[in-house]
Amino acid sequence: MRAEVISTHRGGVWSWLFQRITAVLLIVCLAIHLIFTHILNIGELDSANVAARLANAGLTAVDIILLAAGIYHALNGLRMVLMDYWFTSRTRALTLTIVLWVVGLAFMGYGTWALWPWIS
Amino acid sequence: MSAKPRETANVGAGLWKATGMWAWLLFRISGLILVLYLGAHIIVTSMGQFDKFDGLMEFFDKPVMVLLDLALVVAVLYHALNGVRIILMDFGVGIQRHKVVFWSAMAVVVICFAIFAWVAFTYIITGEGVTS
Repeated sequence: MRAEVISTHRGGVWSWLFQRITAVLLIVCLAIHLIFTHILNIGELDSANVAARLANAGLTAVDIILLAAGIYHALNGLRMVLMDYWFTSRTRALTLTIVLWVVGLAFMGYGTWALWPWIS
Repeated sequence: MSAKPRETANVGAGLWKATGMWAWLLFRISGLILVLYLGAHIIVTSMGQFDKFDGLMEFFDKPVMVLLDLALVVAVLYHALNGVRIILMDFGVGIQRHKVVFWSAMAVVVICFAIFAWVAFTYIITGEGVTS
């Protein structure tokens, strides 16, 4: 039972690996995101301020990486939690995985569209 | 000298007395909070497509909201640093001294939190950023 609780690769080896790769990406990019948004470049809290920041292609790239890595890491983490409670069987877990991929891809598309007024 | 059974934090009864279990529970709770925040953040950002972004930002520009941001920073920092600890454990780094690793990670949380608290309270009190 204990092994069940602490094992971090039950969701599969690839999801274990990608969870760690996205974790590292998130730490680096989130640090950049937070420092540039809240420490270095604080101005009026409005869309013009966001536009000024996203005029920098590097910061836009950071935001897109955050979007993709964040969605993967969040939904895979949610999947790991849910697989502890109700999605315990193979079939349920597979259904969950498929549903979360659909949700994740939808959010990826929606999030990119959301950034569009600033990056276009 | 008689061999004393080595005490380990991970095995046996008293699971909830072990630091690791609280670390695990808080990791889960902070993770779930961050999933919800990410969804909300994407939806709020998308309001730029409907010309509702600036109105929303006025709503968020209040001391109580800045304090909520600071609470979010706690969730982010705890999740990030405990995550670093988990990656180190996965690779067997510091596994003999896992409590030292955990509390070192928590020290980094406190230091980073202090920086963000300084930013947040400067903004609440003066309405200015720390570098402006």
